[in-house]
Amino acid sequence: MAEQAQRRAPMALAQEKSTDNNHAYEELRHLIVAPETEGLAAVEERLDNLEKRTCDVSEVVAEAIEMRRATGDQALSDALAPTIQETLRESVRRDPHVLADALFPVMGPAIRKSITETLRGMLESFNEALDNSFSARGLKWRVEAMRTGKPFAEIVMMHSLLYRVEQVFLIHRETGLVLNHLVAPTVAAQAQDPDLVAGMLSAIQQFVRDSFKSKDSESLASLNIGDLQVWVEESPNAILAAVVRGHAPADFRQAMNEVLEDIQRYFSSALANFKGDAGPFRAADERLSKLLEIRYKEAPEEKKKPRALLIAAGIAAALLLGWVLYVSYASWQWSRFLADLHKQPGIVVVSTATHGRSLHVEGFRDPLAADPKALVSQAGLDPEKADLQLAPYYSLDDAMVTKRAEKILHPPSTVRLSTKGGELVAEGSAPQQWITNLEERTPLIAGVTGLDESHLVNSNLQQLFTLKSSLESVILLFPLGRAELEPDQDQKIAEIETRLRELQSQADTFHQSVNVALVGHSDTTGIEGTNLVLSQQRAEQIRRLLLRNGIRRETLRPTGVGTTQPLRNEDSEEGRQLNRSVTFKVSFAPAGSAAANAAAAAASTSTNAPPATPPGN
Amino acid sequence: MIQKKICMLGSFSVGKTSLVRRFVATIFDEHYHTTIGVKIDKKIVKTDGGEVTLVLWDIHGEDVYQKMRMTYLRGMSGYLLVADGTRRQTLDDALALNERVVQEFGKLPSLLLLNKFDLTDQWEIDSSQMSKLAAAGWNAINTSAKTGDGVEGAYLRLAQAAQGK
Ligand SMILES: Nc1nc2c(ncn2[C@@H]2O[C@H](COP(=O)(O)OP(=O)(O)OP(=O)(O)O)[C@@H](O)[C@H]2O)c(=O)[nH]1
Ligand SMILES: [Mg+2]
Repeated sequence: MAEQAQRRAPMALAQEKSTDNNHAYEELRHLIVAPETEGLAAVEERLDNLEKRTCDVSEVVAEAIEMRRATGDQALSDALAPTIQETLRESVRRDPHVLADALFPVMGPAIRKSITETLRGMLESFNEALDNSFSARGLKWRVEAMRTGKPFAEIVMMHSLLYRVEQVFLIHRETGLVLNHLVAPTVAAQAQDPDLVAGMLSAIQQFVRDSFKSKDSESLASLNIGDLQVWVEESPNAILAAVVRGHAPADFRQAMNEVLEDIQRYFSSALANFKGDAGPFRAADERLSKLLEIRYKEAPEEKKKPRALLIAAGIAAALLLGWVLYVSYASWQWSRFLADLHKQPGIVVVSTATHGRSLHVEGFRDPLAADPKALVSQAGLDPEKADLQLAPYYSLDDAMVTKRAEKILHPPSTVRLSTKGGELVAEGSAPQQWITNLEERTPLIAGVTGLDESHLVNSNLQQLFTLKSSLESVILLFPLGRAELEPDQDQKIAEIETRLRELQSQADTFHQSVNVALVGHSDTTGIEGTNLVLSQQRAEQIRRLLLRNGIRRETLRPTGVGTTQPLRNEDSEEGRQLNRSVTFKVSFAPAGSAAANAAAAAASTSTNAPPATPPGN
Repeated sequence: MIQKKICMLGSFSVGKTSLVRRFVATIFDEHYHTTIGVKIDKKIVKTDGGEVTLVLWDIHGEDVYQKMRMTYLRGMSGYLLVADGTRRQTLDDALALNERVVQEFGKLPSLLLLNKFDLTDQWEIDSSQMSKLAAAGWNAINTSAKTGDGVEGAYLRLAQAAQGK
């Protein structure tokens, strides 16, 4: 209080004085403060004038912000953030293109980077999982999938990733016109017209955007056409499309993106001013061709354990090869067996089927045909694996007919049977009895239409003729002028007797009776008349001897021919001796026939003929 | 080589597809297969300015069911506005459509085709109508996709005009 009073006192005093010195004071004051007043007015004016104030702030605002930022104070960011956010939001609301286009070069790589990081993380966890389960590789991918919690398909894909980029299109986004187009050499021939493909692709893009009311930046990323995929990436002015066969990995999209960004940056003005001339975009060839690769993705563990893998693959290949060889050998064996079976007489194959290593055959078999199971064994195959369904039938095959005939006729070993076009041919020799049997039974054999015996000899008959001719070759010799045998001829008589008996029994089988003419001869010495008598006596003499040994009387018919049928000419003593003899002539006649009786009668007559009295030589 | 995107515009069934087929492949088909979406074709033509590849966007005609998508027209260098001379309504529709196109894309090289000119007995456009069109700045061309009349000439004129752009 006291202080206030003291201050006020001089003021009041001054006021009083001022009325007098008002002018002077004003003047003084003016002198002292005038410059400041003017300055103040100028400052005031500057503060009041918005335009000037703005101008002032604009001069320092950048420095001020910079200064404030340098202090490390958060307040500035806090203050600006809402405004900036609001600004961005408003900008996007008005026209998203502006910001999107501006950010494209920045955002693309940023987004990619973050995706790459994520993918790499995923891959690493994959690789680890795959490495740990190498021993069970291939067989245990499913287990892996369970353990890693990733879809099985993804695991499999990791192992067998393979793709080929067949075509790359660079398309002007607005017009849909082709700027550049590359085709892999291997598919060049079947590539479609790129102009049409490009147009269609951009039309599809526009259609998708329109139809789903999506924003300009959202568009179709890929199309599937059969086993082809079209991967599409867009930049503000261009579309990059890649035609991919197989499954390209996610990092292929990254590669596309990098190429497209590069092109968008490098050709930005050419793209913006494109008027239909694609010439400048030839320069993008090199960039685009980077995408046209065939890429094989190796399984990560292949690097680590190539040996183990190789060995495993080798063993697998060897096993596979072995198996293939075995299977094809088995099927070759079966087909060889079947070819044999087809050729077998008496077996008809109607149908065959192989199931794996076993064989199924349907058809017919003659009961006399070869045993098919035995054929299987002969071919070196397992009879257990052959299922042969063969119904019985009578084969008309010549070989089978022959077999059937043999079974029925039991031919002796001297006979060979064969069949020619149904006619049974018998060759060789056989006894009369078998031949009779053959003639009777042949017509009853299935498949036989005729019999050819022209080459079959009757063995009984043959024997008969042998006996006949052996008997007829015997010459019984007599001494000169006598009707008694030379002393050494007795043995011959016994022999003749046995042959005669045999001849008789053989003839019986043919129901023939045997007639034996005993022909007496004499040499030319002496009188002819005496010789005739002597020759008759000689024949009589032999009959007596034979009758004594029990040969039937009616069989023997002695005659004398004298010198009329000499056996030799008589130049020598030896010739003359041979003509002093008895020889035999054998003939046959049906038993009980007139001829036989006549012969028998003739024989008895000559027996009764009186012996010639005059001795001859 | 220079390429130009050219669009075929007009109501349904006026003969847009037929005109393209006549021009590109010299084929005509009586059967009507309405276009769904867009069909793209191309043809190389010679103009005073050299060879030009015309990439033709044959766009489905407008009808009550489907409005035409303006986005298909982006980047075009010119267009053929097609009307069916035997259906007057299609001419009015074509002019209305043209209004929308000009509004969106500005003035572009274009020609007005009065198609199916071979069907003279059913022709619905008289000379007064023609003079009205001329007054509006349209130089209408009578064409027939069936006989080929006027078709090639129309495309060539448009190519010539578009090449300046
Ligand atoms: N007589 C005659 N018929 C024509 C001519 N042009 C087209 N047509 C016929 O008209 C019908 C329609 O032809 P389009 O070419 O399919 O018509 P568009 O305009 O493509 O029809 P949208 O695809 O549905 O829009 C077909 O049956 C054609 O054969 C023409 O010049 N003369
Ligand atoms: Mg059509």
